[in-house]
Order: sequence, then C-alpha cells, then structure tokens
Amino acid sequence: MTELHPEIHERRILGTELLWAFGVGVLISLTLAMIVFTALTMGINPPSNVERIDPKTLHLSGEFAEHNLGTTVGPDGSATVRIIATQFMFVPRCIAVPRGRRVTLRLATPDVIHGILITGTNVNTMVVPGYVAQVHTEFTRDGDLLMPCHEYCGFGHSEMWATVQVMTDNQFKPGADGRVSCAQR
Amino acid sequence: MHSDQPSAADDPAEVADDVDEAALARVMRTVPLGAAVLAGGAVALLVIGYLLIYLLIFIPRGTIG
Repeated sequence: MTELHPEIHERRILGTELLWAFGVGVLISLTLAMIVFTALTMGINPPSNVERIDPKTLHLSGEFAEHNLGTTVGPDGSATVRIIATQFMFVPRCIAVPRGRRVTLRLATPDVIHGILITGTNVNTMVVPGYVAQVHTEFTRDGDLLMPCHEYCGFGHSEMWATVQVMTDNQFKPGADGRVSCAQR
Repeated sequence: MHSDQPSAADDPAEVADDVDEAALARVMRTVPLGAAVLAGGAVALLVIGYLLIYLLIFIPRGTIG
C-alpha cells in the first residue's frame, strides 16, 4: 500500500469537511425555506404582538371590562375573543368559537405571568402583565377543547383552565349584540 | 529527576505501545469514512424526526399567527 503524501492527505480531509459543510448548509436552507413557504402560503407564523395595557385598570374600562369579555363576531364573520387570565381562572371560563373561520384571541392579565395553550391546536402564548397577547388561528374540528394555564402562576395554577367550545355554523349564532356564548350541555 | 523519585515510565502499562506507522496510515484511511457515516446517520435521524413532527403533527394542527 502506498503512503499518501501529507499534503494530499490534508487536502482530502479539507475536501471532506467542505462537503460536510455544504450538506449541512443545504439542510439548513431547506428547513428555512420550508418555514418561509408555510408562513407565506398557510399563514403559519409565531404569534407576535406588542401592545401595552395598564394591568391596574384593565378590568375597569376599555377593551377588557367585564361586559366586553367573551366572543364577538365582526361584520366579516370572523370572531374575536377577549379573555382575562387571572389567579386562578380565566374569565370567561368557557369561550365559544366558530369552526373554519378566522378567530382572534386577545388575552390580558392584571396580576402575574400566565400562559395558554389549546389542546390539539398550535395555539400557545404567554400572557404577560402590561401587554395584550394576541393569537390568530382557525379551528378545523368542532368539539370541546381544553385551555389550561401552562405557566406556573401560584398555588392554584393546576386549577386554572377554561373550555374552548368549537361550534359548527349551525350552532354558532351571534345574538343581537353580536356576541356568542357557550352552549349549555 | 532523582533516581529515588517514581516515574510513570517505570510502569509498562503507562508506556505507549510501539506504533506501526504503516498500520496507522491504513487505519486512518478508513476512519474518516466511519466518522462521516456516524455523523451523517445521526444528522439524518434528527432531520427525519423534525420533518415527521413538522409535517404530521404541526401542520395538521392548523394555522397560527
């Protein structure tokens, strides 16, 4: 067996490393391309919203006053849900949303950091005092989903959860005031 | 070093074996291939796992933004 000249050996190692770097570069590019593609064609993005709100007064007047909480339906049929996350409950405890239509969830908290997820969906956000958390989504299946607090917020954290009632068009009927509540089951 | 001080070279287990340069060169010729297969396999498993979760779980769970 002939011995390789050290310089040729070094060049081979360099060639292998460059090939590896190229392969990893291709993989990273493909992953980023897939993320950009789904963002542009399917509207899948990380929820991002920077909107300040005074946590000391949010329940007294304005968007998160008690009579504004829950689900309202806009002129285009899309639903907006306003929820307060507080130790240790969500207000309201049950939210009604339509299936197959755009839904905007808006959450605020007057006390500590909370977080929500809705089981079986990609809805997942933190709720930070002083800010309004906002998530756009579309529910594809009807039925009851669980919405627990997923950020430890105190001794009652494990009891803090709400129900998301995903309704078909037949069930999702706004009242005269454009609001929808959960059906009694 | 004084002769009354111990030396690692006194213990045969601590002394390096004689290296057959030709045998080393033979081994070193195949080691990069093994490393590439190992690293490639590990990265491939990682990427396959990511793709399966992304395509079969994340995407079917619906739009988010």
